[in-house]
Amino acid sequence: MGDNHNTHVKWVVGFLTMAAILGLIVKKVLVPEGFGTYGHYRAGAILDEFNRETRHMTNDSCLSCHPFIKEMHLEGIHRTVSCEFCHGPYGDHIRNGKKVATLPVKKGEEITALCLRCHNQIIRARPKESIKMITMPDHLENKKVQTDHNCDQCHNVHAPLMYVKQAREMMHMSSREDK
Amino acid sequence: MDRIRAEINNDRRAFIKKVLNGTIAGSLLLVIPAGASEVAEQLSGMRAEQSIFTKKRFAFIVDVTRCIGCGSCCVADKLEYNVPDGNYRTWVERYIIDDEDNVYVDSPDGGLGGYVEPRKDIPHPVRDTFFVPKLCNMCKKPSCVQVCPVGATFQTEDGFVLIDKERCVGCGYCIQACPYSVRFLNPETKTADKCTWCYHRVRKGLLPACVNVCPVGARKFGDLDDHESEVYKILHLPHVVSVLKPGMGNKPALHYVGLRREVV
Repeated sequence: MGDNHNTHVKWVVGFLTMAAILGLIVKKVLVPEGFGTYGHYRAGAILDEFNRETRHMTNDSCLSCHPFIKEMHLEGIHRTVSCEFCHGPYGDHIRNGKKVATLPVKKGEEITALCLRCHNQIIRARPKESIKMITMPDHLENKKVQTDHNCDQCHNVHAPLMYVKQAREMMHMSSREDK
Repeated sequence: MDRIRAEINNDRRAFIKKVLNGTIAGSLLLVIPAGASEVAEQLSGMRAEQSIFTKKRFAFIVDVTRCIGCGSCCVADKLEYNVPDGNYRTWVERYIIDDEDNVYVDSPDGGLGGYVEPRKDIPHPVRDTFFVPKLCNMCKKPSCVQVCPVGATFQTEDGFVLIDKERCVGCGYCIQACPYSVRFLNPETKTADKCTWCYHRVRKGLLPACVNVCPVGARKFGDLDDHESEVYKILHLPHVVSVLKPGMGNKPALHYVGLRREVV
């Protein structure tokens, strides 16, 4: 007799203990580290997002190495236009403080296309207080230049009115005669 | 006995929390100087923030009355995150309302290439046209977080709704749950993806990439606890400010200035 009468209890207790241990092991394996520290998510995910590469910097960071452009860009009405919009992200140019590649400089028709992304009058919906609009090729005809001219042949892309102002000064035209 | 055990447990929890906070804050400190320090801080005080959650209340404001639809924001966003073609973390919609009050909306390639062509399929004279930039609304009650079965989408205490790429199983529940359709399944990682308000930039004191490049100041980002910030002033002065789909009850933190009734 002796111990035999509670064998089934031992079996049940043993089974439950095994199940609990197995459950804990499975939980340990499946639930990632840091899960639940701050909420129902992995705490390290915040750090992952934090450590994402910053590919765009600011105009200041570009202009700190390009003093000549800086002078023009900050003087002109394009001072709010981002360098990286036309030239590409800082991250493609500088890595760990070292230059790794040259960013492309837009030329010719590419420039006109870039200008017209903002200044094309045909696309209505552009608030007048934000930006000056023109229609192509009317603008070229009004200014009496050839209609295959690109924008940068009259306008400095960094300071669009720089050449125009200089020309007016040279010609002693003080006020704007155009509409 | 129970009381003592509870106390020990409590202590243990606090201890682990402290250690974890310490390690995470420590690793933040290690990371901050690289890359960002040579640039002036755009969001003041962010580089001094060392805790895992900032104490700031961030707000994003889009001024519809200023947007010129140039698509700078879309370009910056795509290049900052190398977003696969055909997916958009942010995009710009063009709204056209004609004299008969019909509304036409389009967004060719998400506005990535800018708006170069006028719409030619509108039979009546046009009454009103405008652009509406869209991005994550950073809801205070995000339905995407609620539906995620694996805890891959979560809300930080400072209000950012982020995605854990390691955890996400790509089931797409969150994509369906988002009332603003800002989520997509990234074909490269096969996980859900969306705008983060550039969390990685903001934590390093930089503005979100799209805010940084906007030439007309149509996108604004700042701290509502800073009463000198532009976002605080806009939200606390009598502007026409509204959110998208307020009836969904998600309480978006993204606000729009001058939003027309027709915008959904």
